[in-house]
Amino acid sequence: MVIPQKLDLLQGTLDLLVLRTLVSMGPLHGYGIARRIEQLSEDEVLLNQGTIYAALVRLQDRGWIAAEWGVSENNRRAKYYSITRSGRKRLAEETSYWQRLSAMIGRVLAPSEGGPK
Amino acid sequence: MNVGLPWARLKGLMRRRESDAELQDEIATHLELAAAENLRRGMPPEEARRLAAVRFGSVTSAKEGAWEARGLPGLASCLRDARYAIRGMRSNPGFTLVTVATLALGIGLCSVLFSVLNAFVLRPAPGVSDASRLVTLEAPVPYPYFQRYRDEKGLSAGMAAFIGPVPFGVSVDAQADGKPERVFGHLVSLEYFSTLGVAPLLGRFFDPAQETPGAAPTVVVSARFWRMRLHADPHVIGRALRVNGRQATIIGVGPKDFLGIFPSTPAEVFLPVTADPAVAPELADDILHRTTQPAFRVLVRLRPGMTMAATEARLDAYTREIDQQTGKRGSDRKGRQVHLILAGQASPLSIPERSLVATFYTLLVVLILSLTCSNLAGLILARGSARSREIAIRLSIGASRFRVIRQLLTESLILAALGGVAGFAAAYRLLDLFARFRGDSALLQSDIVYTPDLRVVLFAFVISALAGAGFGLLPALATTRADLATALKASMGTRRSRYRRFGLRNLFVVYQVAAAMMLILIMGVWSSGLRNAANLDPGFDPAPLQFFSLDPARDGLAPNQSAALYTGLAQRLARLPGVESVALADQPPLNLTVANRSVSVPSVPAGSRESVHPVAFLSIGPGYFATLGAPLVRGAEFSERDLGLDAAPSDILPAVINQTAAKDLFGGTDPLGRRIRQDAEGVQRTFQVTGVVRYDRQSLAVNRPVATIFLPLTHYDLRRGSRSGTIVLLRARTHLDGATIRRKLASINPNLTMFNPQTMREFLAAANRVVQSGIAFTSGVGLFGLLLACVGLAGVTAQAVELRRKEIGIRMALGARPPQVLRLVMREGAVMISAGAAFGFAGAYGISRVLAAASAQMAEIIGWSTGNRALTIGIPFMLVSLAAIACYLPARRSISLDPLVALREE
Repeated sequence: MVIPQKLDLLQGTLDLLVLRTLVSMGPLHGYGIARRIEQLSEDEVLLNQGTIYAALVRLQDRGWIAAEWGVSENNRRAKYYSITRSGRKRLAEETSYWQRLSAMIGRVLAPSEGGPK
Repeated sequence: MNVGLPWARLKGLMRRRESDAELQDEIATHLELAAAENLRRGMPPEEARRLAAVRFGSVTSAKEGAWEARGLPGLASCLRDARYAIRGMRSNPGFTLVTVATLALGIGLCSVLFSVLNAFVLRPAPGVSDASRLVTLEAPVPYPYFQRYRDEKGLSAGMAAFIGPVPFGVSVDAQADGKPERVFGHLVSLEYFSTLGVAPLLGRFFDPAQETPGAAPTVVVSARFWRMRLHADPHVIGRALRVNGRQATIIGVGPKDFLGIFPSTPAEVFLPVTADPAVAPELADDILHRTTQPAFRVLVRLRPGMTMAATEARLDAYTREIDQQTGKRGSDRKGRQVHLILAGQASPLSIPERSLVATFYTLLVVLILSLTCSNLAGLILARGSARSREIAIRLSIGASRFRVIRQLLTESLILAALGGVAGFAAAYRLLDLFARFRGDSALLQSDIVYTPDLRVVLFAFVISALAGAGFGLLPALATTRADLATALKASMGTRRSRYRRFGLRNLFVVYQVAAAMMLILIMGVWSSGLRNAANLDPGFDPAPLQFFSLDPARDGLAPNQSAALYTGLAQRLARLPGVESVALADQPPLNLTVANRSVSVPSVPAGSRESVHPVAFLSIGPGYFATLGAPLVRGAEFSERDLGLDAAPSDILPAVINQTAAKDLFGGTDPLGRRIRQDAEGVQRTFQVTGVVRYDRQSLAVNRPVATIFLPLTHYDLRRGSRSGTIVLLRARTHLDGATIRRKLASINPNLTMFNPQTMREFLAAANRVVQSGIAFTSGVGLFGLLLACVGLAGVTAQAVELRRKEIGIRMALGARPPQVLRLVMREGAVMISAGAAFGFAGAYGISRVLAAASAQMAEIIGWSTGNRALTIGIPFMLVSLAAIACYLPARRSISLDPLVALREE
């Protein structure tokens, strides 16, 4: 039961991180998003940058991000992603969910304070 | 699961190729950007690119991840479901076979019924444009009436008149003296083709500038005639045909599939009404200018934006005006003079008729389909209980309920698809057989095309999908609702949820019994109507009788010549060896008829109310009853003097009536010398009874003799000849072969062609075959319903016994006797049967009331049927007893139960 939960967690987290990155950075291409997440998480979260594309497709499908073709800094055709209104709403919901979850897990795992006697 | 996703997924699936390329681009850019950054950090180019690739990971798995996110999983898992379902079906071939066969029967029967509905009501006349805007006057009118309607501005978007179907003697090779072929066609006003909106395949259609009275005869032929008789000759325009012995030039070929308006009686040749009466005897007597000869059917194309009712009201007003101007009786009559009916399909149809037919067939389809579905739903539920462990395991290891339901639905949809294909194929075959079988029978002279078209295919597809969802969904919902813990423990015999699930099955069974009851009652009424048409006593001995048809007007004889030909014809034929007597008639002596005319008896004290009676008419020559072998009880037959009377409409014709007519019209009083009046379409005719015959013709639908009035064949009749020609009936000691008769006829007139020769036995057998095939079909549908209900009931009882094994074991161990146990098991079945039977009977009663209210003929049939004990008591009794047997057989197993075994098996 442990393994699938961990995978689920990771997937949901990646979506959340992508949304968060787009809010703070504005429109970005896939590489930019991947780099930004790596920087923020100090290279701990993402094993492969390629996995980001599944998340981008999924988020686009759900209408939480939008994509537009543009030109990258090295003059290549690149797809720029930006967050949509419903994406922002989703991010707010997910963020509060994560905060509650991590607070709860933090409380439960806290060594002594308020724990079982 | 996000329900809003499938659409996006589907779109994703469709744009797959395009987005694959885009993704490829994106990944390439990604790798270049990463390499460029590494380069900026001072790595050597080789290393920069390598590290970029390493950090990206597998390109293939990135693409796969994107595909999966994009929508492949939906399709992939559907395919997985389908594969799983097919594996399951193959491992359980018995269940699959039964299900597919049941579905095939149900869907097949529905497709046949729908094809019939399609043929009569839905399919527009082929080749006619925008057929739904075409209407026709219910009754024919005189030509001047039509001219008046046509010239009225703003009344319609086109109007035409025609006489038809009219037989023509047509020979293709105009030079040779070949025998003509009898072909049906229409005599049309020049607006006919433009009103129908058809364009010629070759040549032109009629044109007022060229088709003038006295111009050389012209003819338009159908594309079918052109293909089959003229070898699709592209240079056919300008060639001559011999029509009724006269030359006519072909000026045009109709479009593909076009067989005139009302293709149920196909028209192969079209002649203008301006043609010479020598070519078309129907046009004799200056019929285009007579206001007293209602011979023309009027076609109206409704003006855009103008309703049928508004058009009818205006036509009605014009008709009254003309009636007044011509001083016709009845112009002061109340109610509508003109009734418009629909003209765009196989045959004319009034709107109430159309809705009646549509409702009736829809009802049958719904009954059959729901019966099939509830039967299969019960079967699948029973299987679901067997599979409940499998399902419970799948649910417990994390399959969502939606996922399991989808899996179960996939199974039933695949079964439905198989059943649909098999059912449609069976329906196609059946209709094809029926069409061929009908093709042999010259009796009906109609050509309704039942062959399924795209509409029927679509229908079969839709009902298959409905059936799949219908019999799959409820059981799927019920099975997956099972409480996991109890389901997994079921093998230990402690299942609790059975009553609830069983309740759903019981409901299905009650419905099945009810639907079967309705279906069988409806089919019973229908087929008993046909049955009494099939098994009737002809009222005469058919053995020494044979007949053939003549129509000298189509053989090129002038109207007066052909009328004169009949004088003395019977006597000359009677001189043939073995012939006892010969008589003429205007139609074959078929006993089936419909009383579709009305007459009244002028009342003795003038001014008192006259009642109107429905009757059938038949025109006959002298010696008819003697030839037929039906004795007269009063008066005398028509004499040789009565044949070919050149009667004006005002003359009083002699009439022989049958006993039924004598009773209906005159009660107990002596009918001889009394008068009968017919008032049809503004023309009044009077007859005087000169004889009463003991010869009852039966009604087509109701088991009751029809009042019939026999009139002498007049000069008018003989000049024109009827649709079936003039029937020559022979009574002979030995069968006369065609050659003998032909030789004799040739000696009378070399041009004379005899057609449709047959013995009376052959003729009656052919008529019977048509009726029998109808009986076979209706009985088949009824049997199907009966069988399904019984199978459903047997299944549910067997399951009940199975579920209560332990309880029964305990009861028996405690001393319950077999009859008590049997009663216990049967009680449930009895409740279901009675409930179903009661609902079904009430439903059938309700339906019969609705149908009776919708149509007078239906009301007559139903009224007669409800008085028929065999139907109203016999059929329900049969259903209930068969159902009881279906319930008893599996219930008996409960008695043979060994309490020790039942209690010990855990």
